[in-house]
Amino acid sequence: MIEFRQVTKRYDSDHTALRQVNFSLARGELAFLTGHSGAGKSTLLKLIMVMERPTAGEVVVGGQMLNKLPKRQIPYIRRHIGVVFQNHQLLFDRTVFDNVAMPLEVMGVPARDIGRRVRAALDKVGLLSKEKMNPLQLSGGEQQRVGIARAVVNKPPVLLADEPTGNLDPELSADIMHLFGQFSQVGVTVLIASHDIALINDMQRRTLTLDHGRLIAGGGHGT
Amino acid sequence: MAPEPRKQTGARKASSPWQELAESYLVHHRKVARDSAERLWRTPVASSMTWMVMGVALALPVALLLLLTSLQGVSAGWESSARITAYLKDDVPLERARELKAEVLDDSRILEVELIDKEQALAEFRVSSGMEDALDYLEGNPLPHTLVVTPDKASRSSSGVETLVTRLQGLDGVERVQVDLGWLQRLNAMTDLLARAVWALALLLAAAVVLVIGNTVRLAIENRRDEILVAKMVGGTDAFVRRPFLYTGAWFGLGGGVVAWVLLQLSLWWLSGPVGRLAELYRSDFSLNGLTFDGALALLIVAMLLGWLGAWVAVKRHLDDIEPGEIAGG
Repeated sequence: MIEFRQVTKRYDSDHTALRQVNFSLARGELAFLTGHSGAGKSTLLKLIMVMERPTAGEVVVGGQMLNKLPKRQIPYIRRHIGVVFQNHQLLFDRTVFDNVAMPLEVMGVPARDIGRRVRAALDKVGLLSKEKMNPLQLSGGEQQRVGIARAVVNKPPVLLADEPTGNLDPELSADIMHLFGQFSQVGVTVLIASHDIALINDMQRRTLTLDHGRLIAGGGHGT
Repeated sequence: MAPEPRKQTGARKASSPWQELAESYLVHHRKVARDSAERLWRTPVASSMTWMVMGVALALPVALLLLLTSLQGVSAGWESSARITAYLKDDVPLERARELKAEVLDDSRILEVELIDKEQALAEFRVSSGMEDALDYLEGNPLPHTLVVTPDKASRSSSGVETLVTRLQGLDGVERVQVDLGWLQRLNAMTDLLARAVWALALLLAAAVVLVIGNTVRLAIENRRDEILVAKMVGGTDAFVRRPFLYTGAWFGLGGGVVAWVLLQLSLWWLSGPVGRLAELYRSDFSLNGLTFDGALALLIVAMLLGWLGAWVAVKRHLDDIEPGEIAGG
């Protein structure tokens, strides 16, 4: 589902974020991406979302070579990738429902389907009763779950998460990880960038480790 | 990339996916249009300031255009009263003058001919000039017989009058033919000049409107930065991201157009009294024309287009700068 072939990303002459990274993730696989700050985790995620383009090598997502993708096509790739951020990136000028509905509106889903699918996603993260609230009224863990609902509402085959449990206590973090595990069971490829070694060890999943832009563990082909 | 399996579609009424897509597209347009309008309502002071600026900028050239068409109406009105005066040679006797009158009247292009003979002319001159005493010292009557010719409607154009003048000049016994159209030509030249000035002004003010809207929309873009980032992140196309701002621009334009129309109506109402009195003094049927329904509609449409264009300029310049790369952290 996601494949990196000899991917190098250099920002300028003296800052190389990724060096010849090779790995591939299969459909339905859940993997962690770890490493020290500045090891290149965010860069790797940005390459998958086509927020950045690799300096060398190839990034393939769902069979699409992203290097040669024209700029016009980028939005359509992003519709197949759900993203969860540490700081949620929720909009506080609208309700929880409207936040979650955004990916569907972008895709031009008919209004009657939007309601059904948004509620299904909110139900999945256990927030169905709060659809009419403003995200500001929710706790940090709930906000994160709204972010997850938004990431999965259009059933993307790929789900990326950047430090999704960064601000949460261990119990909430375990809940969130459990959610990600459920998504991978239904065939979603999940890649979670995280610092949280304890949590990663608990989950016993494949772990890609980056060190100064090199992939030092977990590379190659997935199961 | 497994697309979402389509459930229920078959069970619903037979609407094709394309129809459904087009329908949701329209629904989205309506939603965005309504949402943009509501946003303007929520900041009534800021919005009405922009509307006022636009209104003034639009009302000015439109007012001048209206004045211009009114003036052109005047010259058209006076053209219809164009008369040709033919002065006969001094030695032409009255009988010959009568013959000439009949001859001229034969022409189908001539509506009416009036013969003013020497004596009558002198009498009129005596009365109107006030130089009675001076005239008494003259030995004879220095004035010639005169034919005052009114062309029929079809020949009242300047070229029609021209051919009539040539024909009258060709007649035996005619000394000189005079058409008092000089002032009319001057008026025409002046309105032509004014027209150009008005159009230049209109262009400049239209550019100003576009810039004002562009700047206002730029602020709106800044205010909704987070929303733009999220929309781009979840796969919103450029058109999707642009849409609310283009509608914002169009609504600004519409509001500006309405303000301009109100300003025009107010100033017309305010001016109509004095203008009427002035026209009366000149015995003219001159009146300031207001905007017709079509004109008002055109004003609103043009205003909306200008607003839309301004928004488009702003969106083009600033939307590309907002890329979701920055929210993913370092």
